[in-house]
Amino acid sequence: MSESGQLILDVRDLRVKAGDRLILEGISLAVRAGEVHAIMGPNGSGKSTLTGVLAGRPGFEVVSGSAAYLGRDLLGMAPEERAREGLFLAFQYPVEIPGVNNVYLLKAALNAQRKHRGLPELDAFEFLGLVKAKLAAMRMDDALLNRGVNEGFSGGEKKRNEILQMSLLEPTLALLDETDSGLDIDALKVVAEGVNAMRAPGRAMVLVTHYQRLLDHVVPDQVHVLAGGRIVKSGGRELALELERRGYDWLRAGTAAA
Amino acid sequence: MNAAAPIERIAALHARLAPSLGGGPTWARRRGEALGTLLARGLPDRRDENWKYLDHALLAEYPFDAAPRAPADAARLAPLLLPLEGARRIVLADGRFDAALSSNLAASGLEVADLGRLLERDPEAALNLLRAPGTGADDRYALLADAFASGGVLLRIAAGRQLEEPLYLVHLATAAEPAVHQTRVVIEAGANARCTLVEHFVAAGEAAVLGNLAADIALAEGAVVSHVRLHRHSATAAQVETWTARLAAKSRYEQHLLALGGRLLRSNLSLTLDGAGSACRLDGLFLADSDRQVDLLTQVAHAGAATETMQDYRGIAAGRGRGGFNGRITVQPTARGANASQSSRNLLLTPLAEINARPQLEILVDEVQCRHGATTGTLDADQVFYLVSRGLDPAAARALLTYAFCRDVIGRVPVAAVRSAAESLVAASLPGRDLIRGLA
Repeated sequence: MSESGQLILDVRDLRVKAGDRLILEGISLAVRAGEVHAIMGPNGSGKSTLTGVLAGRPGFEVVSGSAAYLGRDLLGMAPEERAREGLFLAFQYPVEIPGVNNVYLLKAALNAQRKHRGLPELDAFEFLGLVKAKLAAMRMDDALLNRGVNEGFSGGEKKRNEILQMSLLEPTLALLDETDSGLDIDALKVVAEGVNAMRAPGRAMVLVTHYQRLLDHVVPDQVHVLAGGRIVKSGGRELALELERRGYDWLRAGTAAA
Repeated sequence: MNAAAPIERIAALHARLAPSLGGGPTWARRRGEALGTLLARGLPDRRDENWKYLDHALLAEYPFDAAPRAPADAARLAPLLLPLEGARRIVLADGRFDAALSSNLAASGLEVADLGRLLERDPEAALNLLRAPGTGADDRYALLADAFASGGVLLRIAAGRQLEEPLYLVHLATAAEPAVHQTRVVIEAGANARCTLVEHFVAAGEAAVLGNLAADIALAEGAVVSHVRLHRHSATAAQVETWTARLAAKSRYEQHLLALGGRLLRSNLSLTLDGAGSACRLDGLFLADSDRQVDLLTQVAHAGAATETMQDYRGIAAGRGRGGFNGRITVQPTARGANASQSSRNLLLTPLAEINARPQLEILVDEVQCRHGATTGTLDADQVFYLVSRGLDPAAARALLTYAFCRDVIGRVPVAAVRSAAESLVAASLPGRDLIRGLA
C-alpha cells in the first residue's frame, strides 16, 4: 500500500437519502492514487447507493457530508463532467440500448473526454485501431462493436463491455459496482485480468462486491465492510477472507451492539 | 377562419363546380349520391369512435369552399424530389395527374392512367374502377373525394411483371393560396407481379393546403407490393387519406409509413387479407413535434386461412404535438391458422405532448396466434444516465435515444434514398442534433 499517492477520492461523513430512507449513514473513505479498495457488504447495505451517488446517478439526496475528487467538490459536478474528468462507473446492471451502436457510444464517450481536455478528437481510423486492440484484450468478438449497446449481450459480455469502456477511457477513478456478479469462472478471470491490467500508479479503483471471489484475482490494498449504511470495519485483504469464512452477521451484530 | 361549417361550404362549392367536373350524367349522378350521403351523415367528428382525438376545428379552417386553381410553381418540384435512380415518376399536382412533370411511363406491363381523362372519355369504365365509398364514419372523407371526383391516377402492374426500379408517386401541393384538393389513386398488382412504390407528399409552397386522398390497392394472387410512404408536407399543410387494400391468396403487402412533416395527418388504412396465405407488414413512424398532429387508424381483417399481419408503429410527440394510433385487427371465423402481431410504441419528449394508443384485437376463431402491445412513455432514465455517465451531454444522450427509437422502422425501409431522407428529417428535428454526429 502506498500512503504517498495523491488523494483521489476523499469522502467524509457522507449521509445520503433515497426517497424518505436514509441509506448511507455517514461514510468516510479515502482512496489514493495506485490503490485498489474493496467495499464488501451484504445486500441492502448501501453499496450501490455509494457508487451511484459518486457517479451522479439521479434519485439520491445528499443530506450532509462531502466527497472530493482530486480536491474538487465531486457532488457539485454534473455526471457528464465527472466522467470527462476521469471518473468511471462500471454498472452492476449495464442497460441495453437498442439502436445506439456500441462503437458509436465508445467513440462519442472517448471524444467527449478528449474535447473536454482540449485534445483533438480521434478520427475513425485511429479510433478503430485503438478499440480493436482493447477488444482483443477483453477477448470480445468484433461483432459486438456493431450491435446496439449491450443489446442481446450475455451477462458476461455486458460486464466485459464495461471493462472495455473503462480500458478505453482510462479513468483516474474507477468504481466497479458488483462487476463480478453473474459471471462464470472464465468470464470472471477475463474481467479480473482486465481490471488488473488497469492498475496503475496514477489510478485509484474501488471494487464493490458481495463475494470475495473477485478478490482472489484482484488483490485489494484495503477492504472495507459496509453494513447498515456505515463502514463498520476496514482492514487488509485478510478481512475479505475472514468475511468469506464467517459471513456478515457477526459484523451486523457488532453494529447493533454499538 | 370561415364562419360556415365545412359541410355547408362543401355543399356550396359542389353546387358551383358540379357542371364543370366532367364525366357526363354518369358521374353527375355518382357525385350527387356521394354528396347526398355526406350531407345527410356529415363529416366525422369527436363523437365518432375512431375520430375522437383528431382536431376537427383545425381541419375546419381549411377552405372547403375554394374552387381548385391551375397548378402553380410546378417547376419548383425538382429540388423536392428524392434521388431515386431509375425510378418512374408519376406526379399528381394538386391532386391531378401531370404528364409534363411525370417521367416517361411507357413500359411493358405497366399501365399508368390519368383518372381525370378516363372519367371524361369513358365514364362507365371509371365508374367500375373507382370504388364507391361506404357510409360509415371512417369512409366519410372518401365520400368527400368521391363527391368531387375528377382527378387522380391508376397504376396497374400486369400479371407476372416484376418492376426492378421503384414507381415514384409524388403528391405535389403547388398552391400559393390555401386550398383543398381531392385525389383518387387506384393501384392494381396482377398475379405474381412485384413492385416497390414510393409515395412522397411534398409542398412547393407554404400555403395551408389540405389534401384529401381516397385510394384503393388490390393485390392479385402471389403479388408482392412494397409501399413506402414519406409524408413531408409544409408546416401548414394537412392530409387526410382513406386507403383500402385487398390481398388475394399468397400475396404480400408491405407498408412503411413515415409521417415526418405537415400540420396534420389523418391516415386510415382498411386492409383485408382475403386470400389464404396472404400477409402484410405495416410499419409506421410518426413525429409530431411543435403543434403538429398525426392520427393513424389501421383496420386489418383476417379473412383467409393462414394469413399474417406484422405491425410495428412508433410515434414520437414533442412540444404540444399530438399523436394517435388506433389499430384494430379482426380475425374472422374463416381465418384459421392466422398469425397477427401488433406493436405500438410511443415516446413523449415533453410534458405537453400527447399520444393516444389504442391497440385492439378481435379474435373470432380458435387456432390462431395473436399478440399485441402498446407502450407510451418518456425516455428511459437509466439509459439516459448510462450515456451521461460516459461523458455524453444530456441533450446529446436524449437525442441519441430518440433517434435510436426510430431506427428499426427506418432501417426496414427497402429504398436507400428514403432511409437517408428519413434519417435526416428525424435528426433535423431533434433538440441536441448538433451534438450527435456520424450516427450511421
